[in-house]
Amino acid sequence: MTKIRSVAIYGKGGIGKSTTTSNLSAALADMGKRVIQIGCDPKSDSTNNLRGGRSIPTVLDAIRSGKVVEIEDIVYEGFGGVLCIEAGGPEPGVGCAGRGIIAAIELLRQKKVFEEYRPDVVLYDVLGDVVCGGFSVPIREGVAEQVYTVTSADFMAIYAANNLFKGIQKYASSGGALFSGIIANSVTLPIQREIIDDFASRTSTTIAEYVPRSDTITRSELLGQTAIEYDPDSEQADVYRSLARTLLQNEEKYVPKPLEAAELKVWAESWSDRLLTKKNDARSTSGSRNIASTST
Amino acid sequence: MTNSEAKGAYGPKDAPEPSAIEAPRFSCALGGALGTAVGIYGVVPILHSGAGCGIGQLFGQLYAGGQNAGGPQGGTSTPCSSLVEHHVVFGGEEKLRDLIRASTELMEGEIYAVINGCVPSLIGDDLNAVAKEFRGKNDIFFVRSAGFAGNSYEGYELFFEGLIEDLLKPAEEIRPKTVNVFGIVPYQHVFWKGDARTIKNLLAEIGITANVFLAEFDGAAQLLEIPAAEYNIVLSTWNGHRTARLLEERFGTPYLTFPSVPVGPKQTAEFLRRVAKVFDISEEIVERVIAREEQRVYRFIEYGGDAHMLVRPHPFFAIAADSGTAIGISRFLINELGYLPDIVQITDDPPEEVRAEIVKWLTQDLETPLTPEVVFETDAHLIRQNLKGRPFLFLFASSLEAPIALAEWGALPITVAFPALNRLILNRTYAGFDGALTLFEEIISSFVGPL
Repeated sequence: MTKIRSVAIYGKGGIGKSTTTSNLSAALADMGKRVIQIGCDPKSDSTNNLRGGRSIPTVLDAIRSGKVVEIEDIVYEGFGGVLCIEAGGPEPGVGCAGRGIIAAIELLRQKKVFEEYRPDVVLYDVLGDVVCGGFSVPIREGVAEQVYTVTSADFMAIYAANNLFKGIQKYASSGGALFSGIIANSVTLPIQREIIDDFASRTSTTIAEYVPRSDTITRSELLGQTAIEYDPDSEQADVYRSLARTLLQNEEKYVPKPLEAAELKVWAESWSDRLLTKKNDARSTSGSRNIASTST
Repeated sequence: MTNSEAKGAYGPKDAPEPSAIEAPRFSCALGGALGTAVGIYGVVPILHSGAGCGIGQLFGQLYAGGQNAGGPQGGTSTPCSSLVEHHVVFGGEEKLRDLIRASTELMEGEIYAVINGCVPSLIGDDLNAVAKEFRGKNDIFFVRSAGFAGNSYEGYELFFEGLIEDLLKPAEEIRPKTVNVFGIVPYQHVFWKGDARTIKNLLAEIGITANVFLAEFDGAAQLLEIPAAEYNIVLSTWNGHRTARLLEERFGTPYLTFPSVPVGPKQTAEFLRRVAKVFDISEEIVERVIAREEQRVYRFIEYGGDAHMLVRPHPFFAIAADSGTAIGISRFLINELGYLPDIVQITDDPPEEVRAEIVKWLTQDLETPLTPEVVFETDAHLIRQNLKGRPFLFLFASSLEAPIALAEWGALPITVAFPALNRLILNRTYAGFDGALTLFEEIISSFVGPL
């Protein structure tokens, strides 16, 4: 059995993690790779776009049922043979979602899911911030080996990425996963790229791919599909294929250097000053056109 | 006041944090809350925790508090939600709801105390809401005692805070000459049953009705009458203070504090005089009680006088006990038996702000030219190190020290503090006038004989 490439993808909620992950899974499957995608988010919709928009029963649903859990209760096939798993979680406002992730990942180990399916790549699509121990399980020893973060140029997304770096730093010395690159999402304007590049340079990290905003994604997701399935010849599909190739070849693994809270604030303020200056310049030259918006 | 001198005993590494100890001298907040619930007859504890929490307290709190079994509501009969991973992930409220329903039907009791453990506190179960659903039918309250919230002493306060918060209402009428007694922490203060009873009887002698709750068959009813008391009495430099302050805030009940349960005639007489003054009880009544009891107790002590004076007169002694026990015993030994203080180690980890007061009670107004060294220490190893190379002949400490006391320090051990695994404690107490006789008997019996 060749070594499994285990990758965790983190990022702020709503930033496009599941979109990125499922497009990556689809692109990898398209390239003939056997892929398992594990959604680690109580919303449990990570793999929907690999399955025509339909959700699947989650690992925690299976545990909750009280019956003996069989592999087929938790592993479902999606586009291109991608094996889809959703960790699931409790109802909003009850119980402990973090422990849910731990329980789900432990069950996958007990059930020897990876031995059974022998995947080339396992992608963990993990909820937003590293809010507690449960959500850091994928980056601890013996789960994922490489971590990517999806971020836009939005300050809050960068804040979440910086927190992830702190999490990686914490576990790095005890055999935890290492960082392999930033996936810069929704990058359309040059300034958005500049912001993310600057953050990468401040934190001694690298950029794995720049993913532009695209209507193809909006349309494909309305049909519950990835860009790879919906429009394989589109530019966006190519972007994900390129990212998939990077992911397969990328052997870079390192400990990022997160910014301290105060440093991050100063850094963000310096960008906000620059954005305001640009905005004023733009106003004086082209009226009301707003080129400074970085929101996604 | 000094900190432990023996920190170097751990070698080049730093000594562990004060709370990181082996052989602990208290349990967790859940342990203290459970001990308090079990200590008040009529209260049914309902543990919302892992199954091990209850059994752990049976061994760690109840057995260690004088080899006491749990009784009909404690020990292995304690209702417990026995939470497992399923409840951690999905929440434990439903399980608790079922457990409360079953417990209120099956367990005979007047008040039900839902005692919260670490697990539901971490996952954020809304237990108050669940407990509330049953309040129409039962007197039920919720103790916010995450095990990690603190130690057993904290659990004692949390028990009363939960009760006050959820069940107590202002009294329609204040009952004159009625008091509530706080500060005796069941099992932690290993003579709690005898202490409570003695205080109740002493106060009755001067015409005061005391709700002492502990080991009283109408204990649960007494709990509900807390707001009707004229005063609260707190017998500790720190335990029960938070409860008394909260009662003052809620119901305007003033409170009186004493450094410990009074041990022997001098402390007891002082206790009665102070209480009598507050309640405006005639001096004549109080002095009559004091004179009668003093005469009897001092006459009885004389029976042990020869053994005392001929065999071990004026010995040095050391103490390693909770602050209340240490203060009561130390002042009795010094001021009434003429013993010489060597070192007092306070093992209940009192908050910083009361430590100066504890030291004051241990070092001031003593009828001896000597002043004991006072050390605040919870670590069994450091306590042991601190006892090395000293002249004391008697050691008043716990069952952690008893087995090695003679060999290691050449001292005779008497277990007076938690853990007290080497003695069964039922109604024994050193409190009150007669407490002097009990303690004196134990001291003398430790060295006289064998033939």
